Amino acid sequence: MMHTQSSKLLRLIILALLGTISLLLIFLDFPLPFLPGYLKIDFGDVPALIAALIFSPMAGVIVAAIKNGLYLIVGGGEPVGVMANFLAAMMFVLPVAFLYHKYKGVKSIVSGLITGTIVMAIGMSVLNYFVLLPIYAWFMGMEEMKIEAVKRATVLIGILPFNLIKGIIVGALFVPLFLKLRVWIEQRHVKMV
Amino acid sequence: MNNAFIIGQYVPGNSLVHRLDPRTKITVIFFFVFIVFFANSLASYSILTAFSLASMLTTRIPVRYILKGLTPVWFLIIFTFTLHIFVTKQGTVLVEIFNLKIYSGGVIQGFAISMRFFLLILVTSLLTLTTTPIEITDAIEDMLHPLKKIKFPVHELALMMSISLRFIPTLMQETDKISKAQASRGVDFKTGSIKDRVKAVVPLLVPLFVSAFKRAEELAMAMEARGYRGGEGRTKLRELKIMKLDIAIFILFAAVAAGLFLTRVY
Repeated sequence: MMHTQSSKLLRLIILALLGTISLLLIFLDFPLPFLPGYLKIDFGDVPALIAALIFSPMAGVIVAAIKNGLYLIVGGGEPVGVMANFLAAMMFVLPVAFLYHKYKGVKSIVSGLITGTIVMAIGMSVLNYFVLLPIYAWFMGMEEMKIEAVKRATVLIGILPFNLIKGIIVGALFVPLFLKLRVWIEQRHVKMV
Repeated sequence: MNNAFIIGQYVPGNSLVHRLDPRTKITVIFFFVFIVFFANSLASYSILTAFSLASMLTTRIPVRYILKGLTPVWFLIIFTFTLHIFVTKQGTVLVEIFNLKIYSGGVIQGFAISMRFFLLILVTSLLTLTTTPIEITDAIEDMLHPLKKIKFPVHELALMMSISLRFIPTLMQETDKISKAQASRGVDFKTGSIKDRVKAVVPLLVPLFVSAFKRAEELAMAMEARGYRGGEGRTKLRELKIMKLDIAIFILFAAVAAGLFLTRVY
């Protein structure tokens, strides 16, 4: 490992590149056959997880922010959806990061991923029910319509199972990936904390 | 992954809208999104529509291309329209098919809301169509400048965004190269169950992350060798400047907003 004068700059650049990878991974998405098309699984949260584990929880938040900022300014999404994606990423990444930094080891990653999945699934359900779906309804001029039943159905059939499955799939990918990468990082004696 | 994505939606050009300062565009669009919700009469909607269509035509981007970019939204617009037609029960009955009655109020409401939706999406998409991502980043950095007072790292975030943008094509090529290399070794990305496909992503991501880390080290060293030392006193290659054109647009937009508030029904 070549030592640069300031590891701060190196860290900043690593986070930027992880953000780029995040954005690229959004386009590697695949829809689940039994859920509506707009709910797509993507691996965009994986780089944020990596940043959160090798640096700090804050680094994970920054990578998620870069990813969504990029997505917005290349014209990929609308602000509400982007905000929702950012909040989902935080709910998923932060529990993993906190548990890992406290206990270290594979077990803490796995239990962190399970906690993160549950937090994200419940958090996004609540957020959709009370904030996001009403915002969309408002944009479409449906605020005065009786949409309670529709909202409940969307959350229970769509949002909740989607986030659970997303968490499980992303977690299943992340564990082997991180273990392989960790070996490489340690071999290079990178002091990245 | 399609190549069009490299530069996002941006369509190069030299139109009036292209030449506007990105800060002007962001500010105008922000207020446009806000005032759209105040339109409620035929005249106020006409003013907004005229402004939006005029902006769209001024970009000199082929209208077909712009509308094609809105494809995912068409469904929502039509859905909203249909919903309002069948659910709103105001005014006189226009058509009656079996038990379904279509009221005049529903048609008007449907038109108004779909129009509002369409204008919102059209005008906001003009930003990314006529402004490069790097210009938008510069503009956001400049507009967030006051946040520096509360120690918010505006410069660092903008730097990260610029670096990220710069490396989109590079890392995309890298991804492509790695996936071809792994495919030649027998990894199957395209078929199989979800589990198999998730597994196939690991040999793609490990080299991608490793190469990104290496690139980051090289870039950090190169930047320091050239004397990079943070945001203080750094000069810019592209300076943002408010021109007469920008002021003219602000005045025009203020007129549009005033017209809207004068013609709306209270």
